[in-house]
Amino acid sequence: MPFNVPDVKPLIEDEFVGEAAKRALQYIQTKRAAGMPVAGIYCGYAPMEVIRAVGAVPAILCAFANKTIAAAEAVLPANLCPLIKSSYGFIITDTCPFFGISDAVVAETTCDGKKKMFELISEYKPMFVMDLPQLPDEKEALANWAVMITKLQGFLEKTFATSATLEGIEREIKATNIKNRMMNRLFDYAAKKPSLLKWSETYELAFLAQVATTDDLQATFEEAFKTIAAREAKGVHYGTASAPRVLVTGCPMGGDSTKVYKIIEEAGGVVVAMDSCTGMKPFMTEIEENTGDPIAAIAARYLQLPCSCMTPNTRRLDELDKTIARFQPDVVIEVVLHACHSYNIESYKIMNHAKSKHNLPYLKIETDYSDGDVEQIRTRVEALFDSL
Amino acid sequence: MMAIGLDIGSQTIKLVVWKNGAVVLTRKELTSHDPLAVCRELLKNTPGGPLRATGYGRHLVKEYLQCETISEIKAFALGARAVFPSCRTILDIGGQDTKAISLTADGRIDKFHMNDKCAAGTGRFLEIMATALGLSLEDFMTEALAAKTSHPINSMCTVFAESEVISTIARGTARPAIALGIHQAIAARAVSLLERVSITDDILFAGGVALNRCIQKEIENKLGRKVHAPDAPQIIGALGCALLAAKDV
Repeated sequence: MPFNVPDVKPLIEDEFVGEAAKRALQYIQTKRAAGMPVAGIYCGYAPMEVIRAVGAVPAILCAFANKTIAAAEAVLPANLCPLIKSSYGFIITDTCPFFGISDAVVAETTCDGKKKMFELISEYKPMFVMDLPQLPDEKEALANWAVMITKLQGFLEKTFATSATLEGIEREIKATNIKNRMMNRLFDYAAKKPSLLKWSETYELAFLAQVATTDDLQATFEEAFKTIAAREAKGVHYGTASAPRVLVTGCPMGGDSTKVYKIIEEAGGVVVAMDSCTGMKPFMTEIEENTGDPIAAIAARYLQLPCSCMTPNTRRLDELDKTIARFQPDVVIEVVLHACHSYNIESYKIMNHAKSKHNLPYLKIETDYSDGDVEQIRTRVEALFDSL
Repeated sequence: MMAIGLDIGSQTIKLVVWKNGAVVLTRKELTSHDPLAVCRELLKNTPGGPLRATGYGRHLVKEYLQCETISEIKAFALGARAVFPSCRTILDIGGQDTKAISLTADGRIDKFHMNDKCAAGTGRFLEIMATALGLSLEDFMTEALAAKTSHPINSMCTVFAESEVISTIARGTARPAIALGIHQAIAARAVSLLERVSITDDILFAGGVALNRCIQKEIENKLGRKVHAPDAPQIIGALGCALLAAKDV
């Protein structure tokens, strides 16, 4: 699936096109060389504003490569989620550059697999485990999560021998909001009919935007928006105008699991929305500003994230309604990583919601980081498009 | 008017030639390590005409034979309606996968489900279980049909099921009872897949496993309704391709 014209200028023009993780790594290494400590994180619930306010740079430790899974399976059960196995495999083989340069690790209790894996790696680096409330609508949830965030602040301040002020945290809230507005401007171009962006462009910018500060992203954004404006002026778009528009939802996707995005494209579809923690999810909402209690504001915003670890996770259905209205997909494809029970079970609700409320065809793909099921997935995706 | 359909499956490759509204030629060969060579052999001395391909090997032959490809789901939907116009539900159990498809009243694909990459309950599974019992495929079915009792087999992973069968033999369980247990396990899996799509009106059973009357009977017992297996269940996908190719003419 190409653009409708040849030789389209990519959104980010650097030596890392197609290598989102390497680009992020170089950014973090530069910051570390300049004296900033690195805080490794494991999910979208890690409060970035606090990490930045203590003067640290975040590094995402979730891994997406099949190559370390065999090493991990020497310790971890084989029927565990590939994201956990891959991440752990990188650590025990000492090949994860992100973990290697992390000065501390922020670990969120989003699932049982991660929780117990954190115990196994707790010896390697100073670690702070955040007890994430999983009944977000209970009245204590917000206060409990705010306490956790304050404790995290204390841990980071002690570990890095720095301190954060409330004003500093408030500044970071505002910076996040500016960043999220820019990301949403980008998503609006992906949402155009036909889309102006290839999925990997949105994916790569989202990957960088998770770790980079808003200030550091300004130039990249300006260049990207200029490039998009030029595309728009020339009538450039991605894929054919009649190509099925695909909303991909579910587990975080990256590295080897982006095979699913590639298969969708090869089958003639255009991925217009990536509803996951490595896609659009971290940028969709803003944090309330000038509340006088920035920690509470941060706690409130992060608790809104509709991860399947939450129960009931009605926000995911509400967000899905908005995403469908905004991106106008023709089909919904859910990607569930093996042994991710919460996304897997919740997929039943997502399927019913997509089919009944939105009259959209739905396909669930359960997969891992290996390429052994590529042809089976291809058959299903092609059949899904055939049935439109 | 002539049109050709090819279904490059995991175990066998099927060819159908369609002429003036009827099947005039069918051919079938083992897929082997070189499916492209097998396709060329099958295509030898066939009348020229538009060609469509489906099955796991469809993308391989696409460039070499310069033909369009379609997914198995669509091919089976088209083929099934051609041999059995009233069918709304299709079960296909092939060499390495199982699919259930439900169709709308006018024959379009409504829902479909496929097993994952695991070969549990497929033709390959049947072959391995027959071998574990020291039987040919034909005798495996005959023993199961004649069995008075059944010994349930719980594992559906091919490797674990083989171990379970071997340990069941070691405990002295009669071979026909094990054979029937295996057939019932496959039928149960197929029924659960069918239940994921809605079962409407007539059910057509396609793919190589549809040649197995014991599986067919066990599925019928579990569903409490008739399951129709056509005379040549293996050619349904290739037939669907030929029909679509004929439309191009």
